[in-house]
Amino acid sequence: MSARYHRHTLIDGFSQERLAATRLAVVGAGAIGNEAVKNLVLLGVGHIDLHDFDRAEIHNLTRSIFLRESDVGTEKAVAVAQRAAEVDPNVTVTPLCGDVWDTLTLARLEACDALVCCVDNFETRLRLNQLCLIAGVDLINAAIDSRHATVEVFPLSQPGAACYECHLPESAYARMARRYSCGGLRRLAWRENIVPTTAITASMAGALAASAALRLGEGPSATGRRIFCDTRAGTTTVAALARRETCVACSAFSRPALRLPAANRWDSPLRDLAGALDGDIAVRLSDPIITGYRCARCGPPPDAAQVMLVRARDFDERIARCGACGQPTVRVDIRDRFRLSELMELFGERPLPARHVLAHIGGDMVCIDLLAAGEAGDARAAPPSTREDAP
Amino acid sequence: MTAELRLTVRTADQTRRADITVDPASTGADVIQGAVENWALPRDADYTLVNTTTGQVLAPADLLARGTVREGDVLEVQPVLVAG
Repeated sequence: MSARYHRHTLIDGFSQERLAATRLAVVGAGAIGNEAVKNLVLLGVGHIDLHDFDRAEIHNLTRSIFLRESDVGTEKAVAVAQRAAEVDPNVTVTPLCGDVWDTLTLARLEACDALVCCVDNFETRLRLNQLCLIAGVDLINAAIDSRHATVEVFPLSQPGAACYECHLPESAYARMARRYSCGGLRRLAWRENIVPTTAITASMAGALAASAALRLGEGPSATGRRIFCDTRAGTTTVAALARRETCVACSAFSRPALRLPAANRWDSPLRDLAGALDGDIAVRLSDPIITGYRCARCGPPPDAAQVMLVRARDFDERIARCGACGQPTVRVDIRDRFRLSELMELFGERPLPARHVLAHIGGDMVCIDLLAAGEAGDARAAPPSTREDAP
Repeated sequence: MTAELRLTVRTADQTRRADITVDPASTGADVIQGAVENWALPRDADYTLVNTTTGQVLAPADLLARGTVREGDVLEVQPVLVAG
């Protein structure tokens, strides 16, 4: 090990070699993401996959140690990765720009020792929780406001661990539901509540998250925990997070899902699975899709072919207004649960607009990974907005 | 089973604190709702409950009688943070 890390070698039990061999996913290159990456790079972690879809804005500069005025307009993940490489060129920070739902394949996640969630909304936190449950990868959830910082550790690599949704109150789901019309389409008028934050709470969360992700000073444990800090009063509460048997997210997972890589089309193993089970199993798509689209006055609207069997999140409530009569009389049906045989009948040879399919078979959760083909060069796993530049 | 539980509830910043008596058939969500209403806590936030005596996060839907809360315990109402 180089002289750079000499002081670390003086710490009892500190293994620089173990850190150098560690690979982490950090999702969100905002205030906490900057601080988490800063700590991980200074510690000499081997590899960081940094995911963010956003570009730097001037107001980010009060909380983002790696961003400069010259970075405004630049993809945050790229700017942070470049500056991080200047701090320690031994650390590889790979920027992944785009929606993390597209950039974070299960294979990429499984290669990581933990995922550090530094995003700013419930929906992405729920999605990352689901991916970590499927992959059996530890989830570190970090969040802040202007006064408090919280870091939650969900050791999902261990059986029986609590997940992010085990203790999420109903009110959080109700808040998420307000973003959508009763039909399930995104509301145009929705404005995200802006929560003010500071460098103080961000640095606290980033430090605790980095420490938790590296399990500094501890070994593997199935006990989840929450650290909650009040940065003004200087108080900290540490509490255990127990798994809730009725949790909507993790109760179906007795262990990480059995992952079956598949091309994003109806060939093996989906076809084999359907044949073996007579197609008679309930499956859940990772992405709700539009299965019905009909104006009550005119019948199918003119753009029906472009809308039917497409991911619902690619549209908003404007499609409920008929392109022929101009009235908001279009009924849009959105579903994510099907019988496998029904799904095959609906799509025929067409590719599924989803990243994975989940099915509960013989006591195991099976995940048919439709992005797996992308790892062998399929364009689906590398959308145009995704850039992967090792600095 | 005890007819009632005497507990202490406080906010995370510890500026609000109250000794309360609750029916063990109450849930964590009931305690949170009472705190939000009586202390006028911001309604644009979500909250969870932590038993600081035992060091356990309480699931909002769980009954206090489930053995997670005992006489004299101190419960802390913590906001669910979401910003990053």
